[in-house]
Amino acid sequence: MKEWQTFLRRFSDMREGRRELFIKDLTPGKAKYDTKHVIATVARVKDGLKDAEVIWLCGESGEKSKQPWYISIEQILEEEWVPGKPWEDTLEATEKNEKQRGLK
Amino acid sequence: MAFNSHRDFFEVLEKEGELARVKKEVDWDGEAGAIGRKTYESSGPAILFEKIKDYPEGYRISNGTTGTWGRVALSMEMSRNTPVRNIYAEYEKRVSVSIPPKILKKGDAPCKENIMLGDEVDLYQFPMPMIHEGDGGRYVGTWDVVINKDPETNWQNWGMYRFMAHTKNWLTGWPQTTSQFAFIMKKSYLPYNKPMPVAIVLGADPLSHIIATAGIKPYENEAEYVGGLRGQAVELVQCETSDLMVPAHAEIVIEGEVMPDQIAPDGPFGEYPGYRSGTMCAGVAVKVKAVTYRSKPIVTMIALGTPPDDSSIAASLTAAVAMKKGLLRHGVPVTDVYVPPEGVTHLIVIGVTKGGTETAKKVLDYFTLRRIMTNKHIVVDADVDVFNMAEVLHCFATRCHPGRGIHYEWYEGRSNSLTPFYNIEERKKLKGCSVAFDSTWPPEWEKEVVPIKASFKTIFGKEMIDKVNNNWDSYGIKL
Repeated sequence: MKEWQTFLRRFSDMREGRRELFIKDLTPGKAKYDTKHVIATVARVKDGLKDAEVIWLCGESGEKSKQPWYISIEQILEEEWVPGKPWEDTLEATEKNEKQRGLK
Repeated sequence: MAFNSHRDFFEVLEKEGELARVKKEVDWDGEAGAIGRKTYESSGPAILFEKIKDYPEGYRISNGTTGTWGRVALSMEMSRNTPVRNIYAEYEKRVSVSIPPKILKKGDAPCKENIMLGDEVDLYQFPMPMIHEGDGGRYVGTWDVVINKDPETNWQNWGMYRFMAHTKNWLTGWPQTTSQFAFIMKKSYLPYNKPMPVAIVLGADPLSHIIATAGIKPYENEAEYVGGLRGQAVELVQCETSDLMVPAHAEIVIEGEVMPDQIAPDGPFGEYPGYRSGTMCAGVAVKVKAVTYRSKPIVTMIALGTPPDDSSIAASLTAAVAMKKGLLRHGVPVTDVYVPPEGVTHLIVIGVTKGGTETAKKVLDYFTLRRIMTNKHIVVDADVDVFNMAEVLHCFATRCHPGRGIHYEWYEGRSNSLTPFYNIEERKKLKGCSVAFDSTWPPEWEKEVVPIKASFKTIFGKEMIDKVNNNWDSYGIKL
């Protein structure tokens, strides 16, 4: 099963459901840690998720969650970024974008 | 002859026993960083990793080129046993001379041996290390020289800021919001929604990297300081996609644009204060437009963390000399300033000819006027050797009055958010606090009531000192 990771301030910031996220590909090789900007469904358990893959949550100090979550990627977005000004909080900007997409 | 390139310097490091060539295959994913960190923590040599997993023969990673005082001295063509005080003095002397850079034609610049342009750009062709387990990405920019330009004055600013691979042709990074990099972006590009050209240089000559750590005043060109420090002009060449000028002998030059309206995640990263704290997702995004590089390129890594490493050593030198000049301008009667590498520019020692509350407050005032990278300042009398931390600690413990000798000031909007003890709210608002520990005797005390330091050199008269010194061998005491 393919594995990914994503960074949040707190593990508790992650919510189940359809999300807009930046995720990093953990497949070994030259392009390991490449980032994808995706629309995906995330859940604590893989049951019911189509083509579920593992996603590890990482906190703001780089601490990795003990248990993985699961992700079903619906769309890989072409934009490698979210709209925002330099030095703005990227997590907040992504959440704002998510709302505009009607995901929340 | 000054060193022109990262590679030239390796020859000297090797001759001096200061370089380890690692021929065994090493994984860029954590292993190179872990080896680098362990080596720093054991005062070991600079490292050249010559075989990197997943990468062709010849693609290399270096670590710790100037990570000890001995190697800094060698980079300045001094003996590797030169005392720190003398390295400081020589640096101070050399940077007072400015030598303009020499511009090379593109065909003469080694950094143009290979060029990736536009759609050809693929950062994953370079062994960018995942330095610490748990970092937010592969930090290609750690021991780098980052160049941006003020379009109104043509001032080309050099700094050292972290940058990580986001995708094969995007980088994200975190030059602090109070940096000169940010000053130019906010002044000349953001208001017009214009992307800002940037060059991220890896593996230039060692002194270019050291100067990139220096707190040189806005509108002054670091390249001219490098010339002064080298005693010879640094050779530059123009970028392929902008008019930025970069060190011509660099290993790798990443050219791109900082986007004014697009952002992406950066961090977290194990940073120079020695922690991976919560500074992340608050930086800039760079669309990479070209990469130029030497054949068999070397990615310059510093496995940053607890001191000492290249960052804490270089900043000790460059920051202290800049602070001494600034304090003198501010009217503080400074003898010397020392930035102990162990204090990671959070702790500064200032020697003064006249101490007391007024001086301590002036010191605090100087350190809190603009952007603030320091927070603890120990002010000591001129009889204390600021480079000798045992003497400094003794002085602080015995002369700083806990009630009258501690002066502090709170501020907002200009603190260093990498400071590990600040809480989330403080980091976000750049709120902070700085303190001056007045460890000097009050100047109003009469001379006869000032305690006399009970050391061999200070509590005995000249006659007794001479007698003991002259007879020392006859006592049969070996020291």
